[in-house]
Amino acid sequence: MSNGSSFEPKIVGFLCNWCSYAGADKAGGSQKSYPPNVNVIRVMCSGRVDPQFILKAYSAGADGVLILACHPGDCHYKEGNYKAMQRHRLLLRVLNQLGIESERCKFDYVSAGEGDKFISIITEMVDAVRALGPLNKVIILDNIGYNTMEERS
Amino acid sequence: MKIGVYFCNCGSNISDKVDSVQVYQALEGLTDVAYFKINDLMCSEDGKQFLNDDIAAEKPDRIVIAACSPREHENTFMRVLTGAGMNPYLMQMVNIREQVAWVTDGVDKASAKAAQFIKGAIKRVGFHKPLEKKSIEMSPDVLIIGAGPAGLKAAITIAETGRKVTLVEKSPVIGGQPVLYEEVFPNLECAPCMLEPLLNEILHGEHAENIEILTLSEVVELTGFYGNFIAKIKKTPRYADLNQCIGCGECIGVCPVDIKNEFNNGLDVRHAISLSFAGALPNVPFIDMTACLRAKGEDCKLCERSCPLGEGIILYDDAEETVERRMGAVIVAVGASLYDAGLIPKLGAGTVPDVYTSFEFERLLSSTGPTGGQLVTSSGKTPESIALIHCVGSLDSNHKEYCSGVCCQSAFKYNLMVEHKLNDAHIYHLYKELVYPGKEEFFLYKRAKENINSAFTRYLNIGSLEITAAEDGRILIKNTLSEKGAIKADMVVLCPALAPSKDTDKLNEVLGTTADTYGFFEELHGRLDCAKSKVRGIYIAGACQSPMNIAQAMTQGMAAAGYVLSGLAEGKQLEIEPITASVDAQRCSGCRVCMLLCPYKAISLDAETRKSSVNEVLCQGCGTCAAACPSGALSSNHFTNEAIFAEIEGVLA
Ligand code: SF4
Ligand code: SF4
Repeated sequence: MSNGSSFEPKIVGFLCNWCSYAGADKAGGSQKSYPPNVNVIRVMCSGRVDPQFILKAYSAGADGVLILACHPGDCHYKEGNYKAMQRHRLLLRVLNQLGIESERCKFDYVSAGEGDKFISIITEMVDAVRALGPLNKVIILDNIGYNTMEERS
Repeated sequence: MKIGVYFCNCGSNISDKVDSVQVYQALEGLTDVAYFKINDLMCSEDGKQFLNDDIAAEKPDRIVIAACSPREHENTFMRVLTGAGMNPYLMQMVNIREQVAWVTDGVDKASAKAAQFIKGAIKRVGFHKPLEKKSIEMSPDVLIIGAGPAGLKAAITIAETGRKVTLVEKSPVIGGQPVLYEEVFPNLECAPCMLEPLLNEILHGEHAENIEILTLSEVVELTGFYGNFIAKIKKTPRYADLNQCIGCGECIGVCPVDIKNEFNNGLDVRHAISLSFAGALPNVPFIDMTACLRAKGEDCKLCERSCPLGEGIILYDDAEETVERRMGAVIVAVGASLYDAGLIPKLGAGTVPDVYTSFEFERLLSSTGPTGGQLVTSSGKTPESIALIHCVGSLDSNHKEYCSGVCCQSAFKYNLMVEHKLNDAHIYHLYKELVYPGKEEFFLYKRAKENINSAFTRYLNIGSLEITAAEDGRILIKNTLSEKGAIKADMVVLCPALAPSKDTDKLNEVLGTTADTYGFFEELHGRLDCAKSKVRGIYIAGACQSPMNIAQAMTQGMAAAGYVLSGLAEGKQLEIEPITASVDAQRCSGCRVCMLLCPYKAISLDAETRKSSVNEVLCQGCGTCAAACPSGALSSNHFTNEAIFAEIEGVLA
């Protein structure tokens, strides 16, 4: 994979069904274009985002992962977004030890009405990861929960 | 596995930007993809018919529909699948309109992005399992806690439809706070007369047999879930037969014991056997056993002997009992109380004579109150001036930050009532803010302003008011921030904020409901669902949810009744969404991580097996538990780890 300006990062976005996914649909409704690099995976609640999903995304070739949740106090399931936020903070420390920059794992809040915010988060994330270049480490997930890392070929 | 892919052009919404040929080529070589079909408008009647017929003909194992947002038409297509004899959960929708066609520059890029999304769906859908909606029986009956305006209105509304209502009231009387008032704002209607028809309907009306009233009772335990709650209710004995007593009151006068009368806020005394106040309903006395001589070992039977109906009406052997009732829903309507004015000690509540709270003043104004409605000071004088202090503990970050909205109305009402009782008394309003929202509320303020004996003075901070007993026997009200002279009055009425009643925390614990930042019962949503608690099947109505007036409480009682009537229709089964969590008992280590996380208390640990299980009625399918289980025992139906892992691999492939 080549570095430089032609590099198009692959990003996986986990969006909660009620706020962020609806926010992404709202952005669609306004028909403003944004970079196509984010592959959206819909979950019912950001609280469903198991840190393993994020590690899995890196190991499957993602250069960045984005988790979008309802704003504090607005979670459809009361407090799943707090859990997601806490897990994200913890995971950043693990990623740090694995040598993965925190810009590659972003957590933010997008409400159903915030189409424009969704677009700017996507744009900034893509720019930030493009600037970092490809993630050239691979996380090896084994099924007993230990994660190790190898250089990507 | 045979997977069919359907690509919708959405008129030209999608096909203008996403080239189906490019997408098809990108999918080439994917195993399991049996066919790729294009339709112009799949959500149209023709489109749905095409999908239906095609599924029937092709008999795929799974299908992927690349079209608009699932938020738009997932349910539409699920119904088509069901109609075509295919389990509706064996489908995955791909949002190539809102999240691809409409937002991507250039056909090549849009087509590539759409192909990635579709690959994710193809990978994922293989892991979908057929899921079935389950349904269980529900009880249409209801438990209502609190027999004030909100609870009573809900009770009669629900009882009229033939359902059974258990109405639990802590005090010996029904009617709530307003039955203690002589007149209510905004038009000084006689409160007991206003409520009488409603109370009568509840006690003796056509549907009264559907309402079981348990006075002197408390809910001590609630188990189960929406549709199937079981409540334990503790009944304190009344010691008088509710059904046979005719309420003549002969027994009351003969009782030799005098105690403070809490129904008049301790402003006078009552006997150990008593009615709460004249006209209280149910019109049957009760014995306060903490005061009765019999509790002290004496064999007093004066009340029983005085009963014109003879023995058997007064029941000295009446004992506390706990009864169990089953119901589908619960309405909490326990009302509010006043903010404790004693927390602002310089106002003299309870220490300076003739300083009253608004609830106490209501009783002084009432013809069934301690003075028979006569306004006299504690030294027996007719007051020449009365000071009304608004905003006591309101709009103040040291106390309650909100405005209760009703205290100003009460104060304006007092102005008019005092004017009627004492022609030329001076009335002072000391306030922080004056409010009179609503179509009828301005009237009382206007009347107060028009009284030449009324004066309005603003204060900035309740902490700067000092209320003391003056040497001449009057009351001195000083504003320490103001250089102007102090006011003297013969009576002071403090109008405190409405605050959560003191049982709120205990009741929240029993019901599993929550309190908001102010301590009121917390609603599901402040605008959309303010009569729903955060627990499914438990509704909240009246001032226990937020400060409000009688009209609003009645309306919210109706709102809660509406939820019950539409949700718990007779004979209807409770449909349980299959997207819930489930536990693989083999793998569960009993660590309880999931139990502590679940916001709906849907998970419980079996005491014997030490394994978790998920209650499918309570579970809302958020998946938070599945993300946390360290043993991988918890899985989230339709959003299983396998499915999401596969989708991740698919979109990145
Ligand atoms: S978190 Fe997992 S292992 Fe722990 S109790 Fe719940 S299901 Fe069992
Ligand atoms: S999925 Fe959510 S609601 Fe259901 S049991 Fe798990 S944490 Fe509770």
